[in-house]
Amino acid sequence: MDQENIIYMKDVVKSYKMGNNELVVLKEVSLQVKRGEFVAVLGPSGSGKSTLMNIIGCIDVVNSGEYRLSGQNIDAKSEDELSAIRNREIGFVFQKFNLLPKYTAIHNVQMPLLLRGLDRKTAYEKAKYVLEKVGLGDRIDHKPLELSGGQQQRVSIARALVGDPNILLADEPTGALDSQTGKEIMDMFLQLNQQGNTIVIITHDEEIAQKAKRIIHVKDGNIYQ
Amino acid sequence: MRMTEIFTAVFINIKENKFKVFLTSLGIIVGALTIVLVIGIGKGSQANVEEQFKRLNVGTLYIMPNFGGKGTETLSLEDIEAIKEEASSVSAVTIVVNGSSEVSYAKTSTSASIAGATKDFQNINNLSVAQGEFITDAHNEKRKKVAVIGAEIATVLFEEKEYSEIVGEDIVINGKRYEVIGVLERLGGNMPGFNPDEGIIVPYDVAEKYIVGKRARTSIMALAKDIDYVADAADEITQILAKLHKGKSDDFRVRDAGSSLVAAQDSAKVMTLLLMSIATIVLIVGGIGIMNVLFVSVKERTKEIGILKAIGARKKDILLQFLLESVVISTSGGLIGIFLSIMIIPLMKYTDISVLPSFLGYGMGLVFSIATGTFFGYYPAMKAANLKPIDALNYE
Repeated sequence: MDQENIIYMKDVVKSYKMGNNELVVLKEVSLQVKRGEFVAVLGPSGSGKSTLMNIIGCIDVVNSGEYRLSGQNIDAKSEDELSAIRNREIGFVFQKFNLLPKYTAIHNVQMPLLLRGLDRKTAYEKAKYVLEKVGLGDRIDHKPLELSGGQQQRVSIARALVGDPNILLADEPTGALDSQTGKEIMDMFLQLNQQGNTIVIITHDEEIAQKAKRIIHVKDGNIYQ
Repeated sequence: MRMTEIFTAVFINIKENKFKVFLTSLGIIVGALTIVLVIGIGKGSQANVEEQFKRLNVGTLYIMPNFGGKGTETLSLEDIEAIKEEASSVSAVTIVVNGSSEVSYAKTSTSASIAGATKDFQNINNLSVAQGEFITDAHNEKRKKVAVIGAEIATVLFEEKEYSEIVGEDIVINGKRYEVIGVLERLGGNMPGFNPDEGIIVPYDVAEKYIVGKRARTSIMALAKDIDYVADAADEITQILAKLHKGKSDDFRVRDAGSSLVAAQDSAKVMTLLLMSIATIVLIVGGIGIMNVLFVSVKERTKEIGILKAIGARKKDILLQFLLESVVISTSGGLIGIFLSIMIIPLMKYTDISVLPSFLGYGMGLVFSIATGTFFGYYPAMKAANLKPIDALNYE
């Protein structure tokens, strides 16, 4: 297998049981993403792109087919092993930010490192550095609700970056933001890609997708590259 | 995740829900308080029993009229004369009639327990006379109005007066004059029914005639020659009295101090057991309260659990966070309960219930609180830990 492939998917099928019916969401999907790529997964809602993202992010598992992330076979992992893989390999950026409301910005950013078992001081230094990098050095002690949408998304990007993951996985990262802020966030992703981060963005917005270097279209559970 | 970080998370959550946490811990507070008090009351009544029987000869036998009998008619001076003469395993015997009366000396008066008895009352009850003499057979035969008074009564009536000056003085009991012939040594403890420190002993007939009246309940106290003769003594007394009472052999009953002690200990144990089960019920109810609140909390925080799992939390991290939350709530509830008990126990002396605080009580209160929190917190915590990240993350 090509070492450069971060994501390697072959004939992946994902279906859900809806009562007596079997709803096939992904139909034998094959996909590879190489280190350093900036990929947009574009498709209308209901196309299966969110399911694809959940599988890439190891939040959901496949029914059949093969999925390797950084060379590791995801099928054979226990739940705790998947947690560890998510922690090290993937940086999630969600549409609705998904920050912990009771924790300050920096505590939110520290979390992936604390979950990894790092001590608080090291995690704090690292988190502070990343928050400064996304332009929030002066807001580290604010709680999410004291921040604007754009700022919250920056915190969530900082949280995604802090653990030095192999891949940044963003699900409609601009979906909850106004167009100006959305543009700023997209610029940030471009910049992060230039610094060497592998990025996969899921979106239904053609304009957003155009900024990526490669677009994968998802429709009715099939992908078209 | 390190334990310090898990604890940080626990405290952040508790801080966010202070009032809810307080309400939740109320059950545990009451439970711990109950346990400390229950153990205190158990120890208190145990100590009471020991105190009561401390001065008592184990060879002592009580002969009491049966309920339904007509008071003094069933037991009389003839009975003790017969026992004295015929029962070979009995070394001492006295008749006792109990009552209480107003007692005065000069302008001081107080209320005292009165025992009408004969000479042997002294050694059966291990009483020592500090000054003067005890009631003698002669006093009884001549129905002398003489009194032996307890140390406490002496202090109340005569205040600072020397014991040697007290003997020979006259006191007034129920309107009649009595000469004080002796003052008892202070005992400190008390006996069932009659506390010599706060009591006055007069000849039996005198007490019956002038103080307690004909209808007072009379009993007989006897002392077996030796502890091994207690059963023989009981048999002899039963036979002698049955003969004397002519077929009415069921109008009295004989009990020995040993079995009274056992009975008293047993009833103290039963009380402790009963209170203990109440405390258990309180704690179970408190525990169910914690469990309910935790279930709601798991539901409320489903999304948060999903986020934590997405960014790498393991089952153990989530389990410990919820379990420790329950343990922290129940531990602080337990500590508050113990603190309250420390405040309440001193107030219990104003009631008739004696409570003896002990480290065992505090320890048990805390241990049971923590155990309750752990036990009832485990299931909700397990439920939180087992949430699937995909379901938890999409929960709104």
